[in-house]
Amino acid sequence: MAQEKKYFGQAEVGFLYGRGEEDWDGNHVKRFDVTFMTFNGVHITKNHVLGFSTGLDQYEDISIIPIALGWRAFLGKDDKPKLFGALDLGGGSAVLEENYSDEWSRSWYEGGLLISPSAGFSFPAKKGKTALSLSIAYKRQAVTYFQGTLSQPGSQSITSDLLPPGFNSMNEKNYLYRSFVCRVGLMF
Amino acid sequence: MKSFNSYLSLFFLLSVLVFSSCQDEVNSSYTYRTMMPIYLEMSDVRARIISIEPAQPLDNPGKIYIYGDYLFINEPTKGIHILNNENPASPKNLSFIPIPGNVDLAVNGNILYADNYVDLLAFDISNIDKIHLVKRVEDVFKHLYTHATGEIITFRDTVITTESPTWGFEDGGGWLMNSSISFSANYSAAAQSYGTGGSMARFTLSNQHLYAVDQSTMRVFNVENPSDPTFVKPIDLGWGIETIFPFEDKLFIGSNTGMHIYDASTPNSPTRMSVYSHLQACDPVVVNSDYAFVTLRNGSSCWNGANQLQVIDIKNLFQPTLKKSYPMLNPHGLGLAGDFIYITEGIHGLKSFNVSDVMNIDQNQLEFLTSEKSVDLIPGPKSLIVIGPDGVCQFDYSNPAKLKKLSCIQVKNPVKFY
Repeated sequence: MAQEKKYFGQAEVGFLYGRGEEDWDGNHVKRFDVTFMTFNGVHITKNHVLGFSTGLDQYEDISIIPIALGWRAFLGKDDKPKLFGALDLGGGSAVLEENYSDEWSRSWYEGGLLISPSAGFSFPAKKGKTALSLSIAYKRQAVTYFQGTLSQPGSQSITSDLLPPGFNSMNEKNYLYRSFVCRVGLMF
Repeated sequence: MKSFNSYLSLFFLLSVLVFSSCQDEVNSSYTYRTMMPIYLEMSDVRARIISIEPAQPLDNPGKIYIYGDYLFINEPTKGIHILNNENPASPKNLSFIPIPGNVDLAVNGNILYADNYVDLLAFDISNIDKIHLVKRVEDVFKHLYTHATGEIITFRDTVITTESPTWGFEDGGGWLMNSSISFSANYSAAAQSYGTGGSMARFTLSNQHLYAVDQSTMRVFNVENPSDPTFVKPIDLGWGIETIFPFEDKLFIGSNTGMHIYDASTPNSPTRMSVYSHLQACDPVVVNSDYAFVTLRNGSSCWNGANQLQVIDIKNLFQPTLKKSYPMLNPHGLGLAGDFIYITEGIHGLKSFNVSDVMNIDQNQLEFLTSEKSVDLIPGPKSLIVIGPDGVCQFDYSNPAKLKKLSCIQVKNPVKFY
């Protein structure tokens, strides 16, 4: 099991496709956004790679930076097109989203759990170690939007587990984006 | 074997892809504070026997009344804490009188008056270890009744979570509204004025009569026989009444639009002498024989107010005139002891002034303790009692230019600035 090289990198761009919740008229709003992904890992065996993936996912107005632990597995002969599978598990960060805060209220986003299994083909270049990759994936990303009004000075405080301290009300909107992903990129 | 494993994993991945739905899920929850109405039958309230309980920690102190060596500290809507204050440097918590709906108190001789929702109670406190109820005057604070049926509504501050942010009635019967703007919040804020005996009092005793003011009415009780208070009559005052301060045979009533002066020389029927109006602001009043000192404050429940100390000439009680006003930071309560005035400046601290020259009060500031955040105060015979976020603190004020902190009673929910 001689390993030619330890490092494995991957960069892909593509689109996220999803259907929003059912509207009042039974239709679904379609979601179609861009996604960018890079993966850096090491071969643990000839056909298995473990590493970290990150990138940028756009969900309508919300930009999420996914940060995940990733696994890649390959099937096929060297220098021939290979079938590969992948699993990324981690979370999304909403740092790109602007937090809003004033005298009366605050609002912010928090990213949540990210799960993304994928499968695809890699086509090795005739020379060198790089390969073209095509993949499809499923991506499940949780995002939460918080919007709270602050307790005004002088109002009595109330101890409750339901409200964070200092807030008078809290509107919590949980989005669970389930997307189909199509990507193209390079493996190196 | 290796390739079998790989096939298996790929199969697993593909099956996940195939079986997972691609539809988003959005759900929201709305968590908010509200006032949950609680309906009470006065007959049930009256049926409960009030017996003295052992000392309880101070949770959320309201008004404070000094009675000899004792401090009576109201816990709004819950009852009255009794503390032994023989040594102001170390007050001792003695006992607690559970009085539901209680927001105010006053002591006349050996009789303690306290409101119990719509009723006025009189307790014999001649033996502090054996306090007992001697009289209940029923149905006097009638504005608390919701119907003529003897039912009252109280509100409990509650946090509720719902799935839908629809405004309206929910199954739980909660009122979906922002508690800070609701009427009941105003009500509870009103119930939270601090310190009877202080400048924000709502019960006051004068000329063997007990005067109780609520937002719009003054109720007069004859207490010539202290253990047998009798309700005389209500007097309509107009809206926004906040405090009452007796001086000689006059009553100075602070409202959020001005100061009313009532002649109480006929104690059972005070008559209005004059009204001194100013901008809307929150304004406790203290008085000496020539001047009334009023603080105006800009606060959440007092609109477009200025932050001022106003000196009003009341030599002619029918024609009070503004003598001078001094800018202040955010004055909440004030207390007058001889020639010295003490002002609580909210988060800014505690001030003392010599007011013997009313035209130059600003030049006679004696002390400004910026670290003593404070809401109200009472100049007591032994100590200056200051209520603030640190609890109930006592100062030695024998030298008004050098206030010396004696003690602080810790409280669970200290006073907030409003």
